Amino acid sequence: MQRTLAYWFVASTGRKSPTSPWLAIAAGLTALFVAIPLVYIFFRAAGAEPAAWQRLLQARLWQLLGNTLLLVVAVTCGALVTGVSMAWLTERTDLPGRNVLRAMLALPLAIPAYIGGIVHLALLRPRGGLIPLALEEIIGRPVATPSPLGFWGAAFILTLFTYPYVYLLSGAAFRSLHASLEEAARSLGRTPWQTFWQVTLPALRPGLMAGALLVALDILAEYGTVALLRYETFSSAIFVQLAGRYDRSAASVLSAVLVILAILILWAELRVQGQRRFTQIESNWRPAIRITLGKWRWSAFLLVASVVSASLLVPLGVLIGWSLQAFADPQTLEAVFRAGSRGFGSFVWNSLWTSLLAALLATALSLPVALLSVRYPSRISRFIARFCQVGYALPGVVIALSLVLLINRTLPFLYATPLVVVLAYVLRHMPQAVRSSESALNQLSPSLEEAARTLGRTPLQTLFQVTLPLILPGLLAGAALVFLTSLKELPATLLLRPPGFDTLAVRVWVWAGEGFYVQAAPAALILVLAAALPLSFLLRQEQIFSDSSIS
Amino acid sequence: MSLYRFLIILSILVWGLTSCAPAPGAQVTAAVATEVSTAVGSPTPASETSGDDILGKLVIYSGRSEALIQPVIDAFKTKHPHVEILLKAGSNSELANALLEEAANPVADVFITTELFTVQSLAMQDVFQSYLPAEADQLPPELIGPNQTWIGLTRRARVIMYNSELVSAQEAPKSIFELMDAKWKGQIAAAGTTNGSMQAQIAAMRQLLGEQATEEWLKGLLANDVTFFGGHTDVRKAVGSGEFKIGLVNHYYFYLQQAEGSPVGVVFPDQGEGEIGLITNATAAGIVKGAHNLAAAQAFMDFLISPEGQNLFAELNYEYPLRAGVPLRQGVQPLDGFRLAAVDVVKAALDFEATFDLMERVGLP
Repeated sequence: MQRTLAYWFVASTGRKSPTSPWLAIAAGLTALFVAIPLVYIFFRAAGAEPAAWQRLLQARLWQLLGNTLLLVVAVTCGALVTGVSMAWLTERTDLPGRNVLRAMLALPLAIPAYIGGIVHLALLRPRGGLIPLALEEIIGRPVATPSPLGFWGAAFILTLFTYPYVYLLSGAAFRSLHASLEEAARSLGRTPWQTFWQVTLPALRPGLMAGALLVALDILAEYGTVALLRYETFSSAIFVQLAGRYDRSAASVLSAVLVILAILILWAELRVQGQRRFTQIESNWRPAIRITLGKWRWSAFLLVASVVSASLLVPLGVLIGWSLQAFADPQTLEAVFRAGSRGFGSFVWNSLWTSLLAALLATALSLPVALLSVRYPSRISRFIARFCQVGYALPGVVIALSLVLLINRTLPFLYATPLVVVLAYVLRHMPQAVRSSESALNQLSPSLEEAARTLGRTPLQTLFQVTLPLILPGLLAGAALVFLTSLKELPATLLLRPPGFDTLAVRVWVWAGEGFYVQAAPAALILVLAAALPLSFLLRQEQIFSDSSIS
Repeated sequence: MSLYRFLIILSILVWGLTSCAPAPGAQVTAAVATEVSTAVGSPTPASETSGDDILGKLVIYSGRSEALIQPVIDAFKTKHPHVEILLKAGSNSELANALLEEAANPVADVFITTELFTVQSLAMQDVFQSYLPAEADQLPPELIGPNQTWIGLTRRARVIMYNSELVSAQEAPKSIFELMDAKWKGQIAAAGTTNGSMQAQIAAMRQLLGEQATEEWLKGLLANDVTFFGGHTDVRKAVGSGEFKIGLVNHYYFYLQQAEGSPVGVVFPDQGEGEIGLITNATAAGIVKGAHNLAAAQAFMDFLISPEGQNLFAELNYEYPLRAGVPLRQGVQPLDGFRLAAVDVVKAALDFEATFDLMERVGLP
């Protein structure tokens, strides 16, 4: 209470500089904008009648909590094991074909998990799937095949399409790891196995934690895949509540619990991450020696190849096959092109412009936040930057629910326009933009800006003539990331789109829901290709992944 | 580096396009659409078509899934080529929710549902305006809403379909209560709480049998490990492939699956002495109060109950048309021979909220 304003604005890291009030206001407004859906959901949940809480507590809440946590833990562990082992094999061993495999292991990020799920379900559905049918044909009697449905199926599929987060982050860490660390451990008598657990893994930990966090939050927010594979989590239950009932209090209650869960995960990660630091001596850096796999060479290759097949080659191959089938059949082709209220071109276009606009808006909004937190570090600026991470904890269904209720009441002219969809993308993906902008600014020495000021430029001129041109690649990387994730977004788009407004993701979902896989394939393929473009740009930039641990 | 340049150019392009028009997608595609239609229409004068007086946008909210309404919309569009139809398909209650929230600022012109309780409860909340199509005298009078707030379109029956390779006709359940029998444990598929027809079945059972018996039935299904899908298309495909032996569906899902060549059979259940009779419901449509395009909305309603519209429902989707004299699709079992459960629509609509509470209380997925 006694603390003055000066206390909050005094730089916590020592360097004192006067904060520009306009910058502080712009950053504050951004934080406020991000806060609205969060606050509104808690407000609605608190206002729900006790009977709604009671019904949920009795029947559903505990089961949903158990289901959701089980899936989050299973997929996070699966992604960690898969990601680290794939990174180790491609970075540290003489695996055959490692250069090609290295890129292929990252590409499943361009495939939305629900599209992967659709393909695997069509292949493996018990009795009805293509593989069980083919086996029955060959062997002459029904054969039991592993089912992609339920908990194990959902865990398997989601692991396949989320491990690249861990793979990319740990791959970057493997590459930058100093060879002398492990050599020292070996020379002090540690076995290779002990060295891996006692030296290598702890050094990888920041990257692994960041990857695990991304996976865990992704699974909390996942709607399409779990709905498809019939495994009920909070996200899918909220969606069902929204589609199945008149009153929205139960959905608000479930949303509030989900958001608290996500915030707990974020918070735990911050705590763990903050405790340890790794410093590497930059001089004499040289890559660690490659381990010779010897007789394990080809079994290791088979392992990596099977991961690449299941997560990339099979989905792509099936989508291409179906697309060719669609193009071969004039009737299906006509259905593809006339689909929806406005035809094929309109939903390709809708996907592209909403995602691009969201990317531009999120990047623009992230700038004042990043400038404030990097150039004027203080308690308040750090709080604002942290607060803008909250989008990570707001799954698409939750953002959709709060926007539906809010926009119609407060901004009716925006209601039922595509801009609401864009707004949802911006809110959800703001953290990625803020992180990218922060890391871009961190790499730019303030002395350049100071020189410009000394030479008589105003702060605004400095921003546009010096800062922005220099951090542009970093900003573009952030925008590419927002574009990529917006393109793949499903639940918020489904719930918020105005009549007649389709995107590629929505079209694929609607068609696949009716069982029209062949018809859905061209749209799915275009979606994957459109997502692969910004992804390959990001992979070239790469530092975006190694820097994305929470600051 | 060329990628940088590409991205920059792309972003400038999009920025330019989006900033010059409030709804860019709409503007651009609308422009393309009119170009195409004038190009196609130029050899024959537009006045030849009967509907050249109907223009603008018609926004339809449909509880019927897109696949089950798009062919009708397409047929309507060939008659009225100048009207642009924007469809939002979803579950009945999701769209009903949207209609209630939009009441002050309506977006939709027409609402189509897959059962009567949702339209009736919306009508009681003053969402619709009265409109009686000229040919509505061809419909059964009990399937026109009070004050002409809605009109019925087609009837559908709740049936039991089975995989005839796995279940014989004698073995197949003859009553929906046999679905609680332990011998079908884990082998039944049905639609979940988001599905309007399932909601309506439960609402009808509450009225016919009372809350307690309905609750016992639902608990019996859950105890019997019935798998609840998001929609009936999944159910029919799962039964058709033999993943499940039994499915609880609307009658046309059986015919659709049969048409795909699957070995499936059907039971129109509960026909025995003292049983509740076949549960049926009807799809319906109403014009939203404050609709922006009243002329188009009325023309669309007229079309839905015209012989052509009714015939499309019957032929493409095996439904029972409500208009007198429109034939059933060949092979569809007429309802004349069956005893139908009698449900009071207005009363069921008043009790609909309690049906949702019941589903939530028993934890139906």
